Amino acid sequence: MPTLTINGMTVEVPQGTSILNAAKEVGVEIPHYCYHPKLSVAGNCRMCLVEVEKFPKLQTACSTTVSDGMVVRTDTEKVRKAVTGVLELMLIHHPIDCPICDQAGECGLQNYYMKFGLHKSRYSLEDKVHKKKVQDIGGQIVLDAERCILCSRCVRFLTEVTGTQELHFFHRGDHSEISIFPGKPLANDYTGNLADICPVGALTSKDFRFKCRVWFLKMFDSICTGCSNGCNVDVHYKGDVLYRLKPRWNDAVNQAWMCDFGRLTYKGMNEARLLTPFVREEGARKVAAWGSLLPDVAFRLKAAAQKGGPDRVAVIASPQSSNEELYLLRRLATELLGTKSFAFSHRVAGDGFADDFLIQADKNPNSLGARLLGIPDGAAFDALVSKIAGGGIDALLVFGNVVGTLSEEEAAALLAKVPFVVQVGTNEGPVSKAATAVLPSASVAERAGTFTNHAGRVQRFRSGFPARGKAKDPIEILVTLGNRLGAGWTFAGEASVFKAIAETEAPFAGMSYDSIGMFGQEIAK
Amino acid sequence: MSVVFSDTATAEFERLLTRYPDKEAVILPTLHLAQKEFGYVSDEAVVYVAGLLGVSPARIEGIATFYTMYDRKPVGKYHVQVCRNISCSLLGAEHLIEHVAMKLGVKPGGTTPDGKFTLSLAECLGSCGTAPVMQVNDDYYENLTEASIDAILDRLP
Amino acid sequence: METILTTHFAADAYRRIDTYREFGGYDALRKALSMTPEGIIDEVKKANLRGRGGAGFPAGVKWGFLPKDLSRPRVLVVNADEGEPGTFKDRLIMSRGPHLMIEGIVIASIAMRLHLSYVYIRGEYVREARILDEAVAEAYAAGFLGKNILGSGFDLDLTVHRGAGAYICGEETSLINSLEGKRGWPRLKPPFPAAVGAFGLPTIVNNVETLADVPWIINNGGEKFAAIGVEKNGGTRLIGVSGAVNRPGVYELPAGTNLKEIIYTHAGGIRDGKELKAVIPGGSSTPVLRPDEIDVSYDIESMAKIGTMAGSGGVIVIPEGTCMVRALSVLMNFYAHESCGQCTPCREGTGWLKMIVGRIEAGKGREGDVELVLDVCDNMMGRTICPLADAAAMPAQSFIWKFREEFDRHIGEQKCPYGNRF
Repeated sequence: MPTLTINGMTVEVPQGTSILNAAKEVGVEIPHYCYHPKLSVAGNCRMCLVEVEKFPKLQTACSTTVSDGMVVRTDTEKVRKAVTGVLELMLIHHPIDCPICDQAGECGLQNYYMKFGLHKSRYSLEDKVHKKKVQDIGGQIVLDAERCILCSRCVRFLTEVTGTQELHFFHRGDHSEISIFPGKPLANDYTGNLADICPVGALTSKDFRFKCRVWFLKMFDSICTGCSNGCNVDVHYKGDVLYRLKPRWNDAVNQAWMCDFGRLTYKGMNEARLLTPFVREEGARKVAAWGSLLPDVAFRLKAAAQKGGPDRVAVIASPQSSNEELYLLRRLATELLGTKSFAFSHRVAGDGFADDFLIQADKNPNSLGARLLGIPDGAAFDALVSKIAGGGIDALLVFGNVVGTLSEEEAAALLAKVPFVVQVGTNEGPVSKAATAVLPSASVAERAGTFTNHAGRVQRFRSGFPARGKAKDPIEILVTLGNRLGAGWTFAGEASVFKAIAETEAPFAGMSYDSIGMFGQEIAK
Repeated sequence: MSVVFSDTATAEFERLLTRYPDKEAVILPTLHLAQKEFGYVSDEAVVYVAGLLGVSPARIEGIATFYTMYDRKPVGKYHVQVCRNISCSLLGAEHLIEHVAMKLGVKPGGTTPDGKFTLSLAECLGSCGTAPVMQVNDDYYENLTEASIDAILDRLP
Repeated sequence: METILTTHFAADAYRRIDTYREFGGYDALRKALSMTPEGIIDEVKKANLRGRGGAGFPAGVKWGFLPKDLSRPRVLVVNADEGEPGTFKDRLIMSRGPHLMIEGIVIASIAMRLHLSYVYIRGEYVREARILDEAVAEAYAAGFLGKNILGSGFDLDLTVHRGAGAYICGEETSLINSLEGKRGWPRLKPPFPAAVGAFGLPTIVNNVETLADVPWIINNGGEKFAAIGVEKNGGTRLIGVSGAVNRPGVYELPAGTNLKEIIYTHAGGIRDGKELKAVIPGGSSTPVLRPDEIDVSYDIESMAKIGTMAGSGGVIVIPEGTCMVRALSVLMNFYAHESCGQCTPCREGTGWLKMIVGRIEAGKGREGDVELVLDVCDNMMGRTICPLADAAAMPAQSFIWKFREEFDRHIGEQKCPYGNRF
């Protein structure tokens, strides 16, 4: 492994490492725009020029591989002058859009200007080259060609990652412009990533446009709930409102990317939420208090089991629930209620589209978790639905916002056959419109736990802020209900539940939140 | 309205494919072919060539707009390209350009109303020893004077 | 004086294979087939054959850069893109003596053990491409190209590939990208073309004239070639003289001929009875010389010693009465037009230089503009993927260093003293 010195510090790195990446190892940040770890090396922005002993000219750190004994300096006057010079040239045509540009606050040009520039412009406004602004180029993206610094990250992404090549450079010299071919907009499922990789405000998100200044946003780690791929995400929020999702890097799951559908799943956590517990009396909603509603629900479930037998109490689980929630629900259903009328459905209304990249056909984040924890689906779910339709169920506890792929009318008709339906759900939908009692649940952004993705990787999601309104963490709901049914549970929060899972559930044996860490852990195969 | 290669052009396209280990190498020759077939490289031509090669239209557009010889807009029957680089300028190219502009009644970049002539400025055409020089379609005209330019342009059918 | 290339150029028929052969054409190829590849490369090294495209790299050394491992096919690409302003010699070779180049290509391919070659000819040379196509067809028909050349078992394919109008494609990696069907963007080096070139294969790029010299070298020996010329620069050069001379044209002269002699003896001196004002010696990208600097040997080392370059052999003669600011403006327009746009300093810098020099010329120059030009040049040079930025900056710097008063006058008087005219 070659050893080199950077600014006097010695570091040993694997063969083939670039100077840019070697410098990161010793905490030296070399400025750059066009380099991206997941894309081919372009070396065109020229910001990463560094001094390398024995080379007469400055070298680009992104494209120069280290060799044993190399001596690199990034802190000399020659380098500083070069970086400032390149930056000045990059800025001469750049429009002064900062006050209206979404990128402000997370903009590569702003950041490096503050660090390496701070110069007055020597180029008059009236001489600037003008290019097309505010173009809807399809997908989730708005293109402003004038702001573009021509780093080619977008072109490389669309060539190397999606293979769809909708964006390219047209023309030559300082009239070079990124564009789509007229009439051939972005047509792939990963357009949102373009706004992530664009260092400036040339490619921005239509959805996020003008919504919030980024310096007001905070963020936390989570997992996308759009399908069973479990792409790692950062959730950006202000107060208790989510503004956007960005992919979080995990080479084992989603590298640095996520799909467009997943990107918009945050909306479901903001809009049409169930935030108040209520019961339905004479067809109308009546607000209820947790303190009285939970014991009442527990009582009515127990009464139904005693009256007609445990199998006349049904429990429908949701593959949108965490491993921790599903574990507690399974124990509540099988041990406390003793019912065999217990299943979940992974089927979701929609196209079931999957591709050979990130998108999975199963649009739920935790179907595999439910299966591994012993909750039946498939034929068992169909049988349960038939039983309900045949009037064989007196009380139903349903987790989630839908019943399989049933429409609102179909769900209403089905649930009308059950005298007592209690829902633990997050959003208005077919179930909330038909349920007898609704226990509003915290969204995935407002609670924590783990999901098991399609490949068996257990990953943690964190909570950003407490449950909105009067919604409650479903673990708290389940523990309370369970103890009302005689469980004697002492669980306090998701970590303690996961501990129990690791002790008793074979696929999760030996796991812990520590071992899962930042990047997840695969179940034993 | 789409465009399609004639049989001759198709035969030439297929022949080109046999000369390179990678099919994308025929993009530049194919665009020359398209320009000859269709008169200029239109939007339809870009889409057509992209389809022939299995690449995106944006990729072909990137190439068609990079190289100066591909006309993305129609040009006149005769594309008059007068060199304005250093050796030609030293020998009076700018006067000749003004002369041609006045004679044709168009500014550089423009086309005569009857569609016969388009006037452009060219960079070095590689004939500096016989400057001033111009290229009209495929042909070079060298050692130009106002009189010789008049004769050349008047003679074109 | 012995000529190597132009000896029979006066005969129109020389471009046809039968006349070419009458004058001894393709004898060298026969001889080369009886030599070892190493032997051929040795002769070329002994000849001190420096690349004639502008960079002047020793051809024999370059040919040796190909990997020893023969498992992957290799490619020879001939750079016939001739775009450097003031350069018009390769056009002469291809239109008057195309078989010289073809024979050189075949010999070079034998030396480098490669079987695939391309001539990348600039798109504007339509007539020359047609002549080349005919010559190539003749060579195939005569068995000098294609399979089993002259029964030797050696195969070589040659394809003429037309460019489409881009000066940057004269840079070897840009040329390779263009050949592959891409925008003419130069590539990062390393890897060098000899390792990863056209279609990912080891590739050597050579200029037309360089290869055209090879048959003579094989026929007469490298030492004899080296003896014509000077110590490190063997053979003759095709020097194109243009601008304000009485006899502009291509002159084949030994490397090391005196530049003053080239201009005054061979090209007949300055026309219209004028005095000399300046000379751009090696194509527009080379630093300009004042009249008191042209008494110098025209060879690669000597020109470098006085701070300029022999470059592509294009001598541009500027007469008295020429506005040097206007001349520079023409060049700045050129480089801005031709910048490929890939990397920041060149893309933005060439446009900025065009703008500043243009406004100085128009009488709208601002105080500090000359210093600004020099500063922009500093920000461009040595910072880019390819030397186009340097090619734009060197004229700008040298014109300002050597003709500073003209720039100052334009700005001070807010007008062009020459009336904005050549």
